[in-house]
Amino acid sequence: MIGVARFLQQRQDFENATARSYQLEIAARNRLAAGTHTSGARAVIVTQQHKRQQLREDIDGETRDTALLVGAGLIAGLTGAALLFSGLISSMRRPLEELVEASGRLAGGDLEARVKVGGLSETAALGSAFNEMAAELQRRAGERDQLETMKDEFVLTASHELRSPLTSVQGFAELLMLEREKLSPKQADTVEIILDNTRHLVRLLNDLLDLARSDAGRLTIKPTPTDAGPLVEDAARTMRSQTEAKGQSLHLRADPNLPRINVDRDRIRQVLVNLLTNAHEYCPEGAAIGVTAKRHDTEVEMIVSDDGPGMAADQLEHIFERFTRGDAGLTQHVGGTGLGLAISKSLVELHGGTIAAESSPGRGSTFRIHLPAIPADAADGPKTGVPVDFSAHRQEGAL
Amino acid sequence: MTRVLIADDSETILLLLRTRLEMEGYEVLTAADGVEVIEAMRAADPGPDILLLDAMMPRKSGIDALRELRADGVKTPTLIVSAHQDQMDAGAATDVEVSGYVTKPIDFEALFARIAELTET
Repeated sequence: MIGVARFLQQRQDFENATARSYQLEIAARNRLAAGTHTSGARAVIVTQQHKRQQLREDIDGETRDTALLVGAGLIAGLTGAALLFSGLISSMRRPLEELVEASGRLAGGDLEARVKVGGLSETAALGSAFNEMAAELQRRAGERDQLETMKDEFVLTASHELRSPLTSVQGFAELLMLEREKLSPKQADTVEIILDNTRHLVRLLNDLLDLARSDAGRLTIKPTPTDAGPLVEDAARTMRSQTEAKGQSLHLRADPNLPRINVDRDRIRQVLVNLLTNAHEYCPEGAAIGVTAKRHDTEVEMIVSDDGPGMAADQLEHIFERFTRGDAGLTQHVGGTGLGLAISKSLVELHGGTIAAESSPGRGSTFRIHLPAIPADAADGPKTGVPVDFSAHRQEGAL
Repeated sequence: MTRVLIADDSETILLLLRTRLEMEGYEVLTAADGVEVIEAMRAADPGPDILLLDAMMPRKSGIDALRELRADGVKTPTLIVSAHQDQMDAGAATDVEVSGYVTKPIDFEALFARIAELTET
């Protein structure tokens, strides 16, 4: 600023001196024209011309000096400003970096993430706002967890409490059916209905229990090296009488030389039976149902397919969600609980596998399960040709 | 005749078990809780060939009763009846020697096969 003022003052002085010089020269020229003091007038004109020349040289020099001064001043100013800003920036940068890091942790699920409040008032305000938000999130998450735990406990308790009366209902209905010959046909049909519905309730309870366990992270599997072929055969065998009763064909195809899979047999069997039950129940009489097991790169692929009514895209999209049922389930007598596929998905994913569905209206449905195969060199014993001893497994488990 | 001691706090379940087991030709003793199980074991002569105990009962659970019996040197094969898998897992985690687990609702055909297997002499 000082440099600029000085520059302006110098210009002003130069302009004034130059104007004064011109005035003197003009006066001398007038005297020359009038013929008075001609020699003196000529001397004045020459002197003034020299003086202006000198003034111009001086002002050019001084302006350059001032410009240099101003330039130097500007550089000094900018450097100062830069230093000031870098101080400002570094005092903002630390808290901001900390905020970014804490936000990342919070987003990643670490509800304990907090920042140190300090630095400039703005960053301090931002920091304390972040901490308040994190504390609120943590409080709400705590409440939600508590509700989830209560819900899980409720489902587990309800399942236990409902199981005893259901055991009685089913047990005594079965007792009646043991003496079926003493019942009238109408009575026998009635008992059959009681049994059907009891079994449905038991399935619903088991499914609800599995989902509650899954939600609580308590759905556990006990994997053992297993041959995929016999597993698929076992699931198909379970369904055979039901599909035959409805005039449906059930084609089984298991590739020879299938790699073994590390799975909980009962659980994967449950998934396969669930898929086959869906195919059986949603397909009309005479439909063709297929179950296949084959190698797919480093995985074993199990496919359950049918040539039934199929599903529309919007229905297919939600097929693995809870209480989603096919249209037929709402209009026909379909025994499913609407939970089977949600549980199947949880179970397959628990095994490190995937499950996917393909379908379109009128073109049947295909469900594909992919399970990681045990690498050939890691497999204990022969890969194929040895049937799995199911009886040995049953002895360890429940009846 | 094979003697089975059954324990459950539900009279209805006891009646169901007794009826089905007697129809199969077993002699049945009953208990309403773990305390009665231990009393019945002391009183019964000859002792039962197999125990079928509900995992959860008031006063004393089936698991606790079995733990005491095992400590007294009782080696009788025992099946634990539990309402669901979680109880089974909890039961299996204990150090008590259990012959097997039965879940409700009871699959009687499988139960009879298991009892026959455990009481074969």
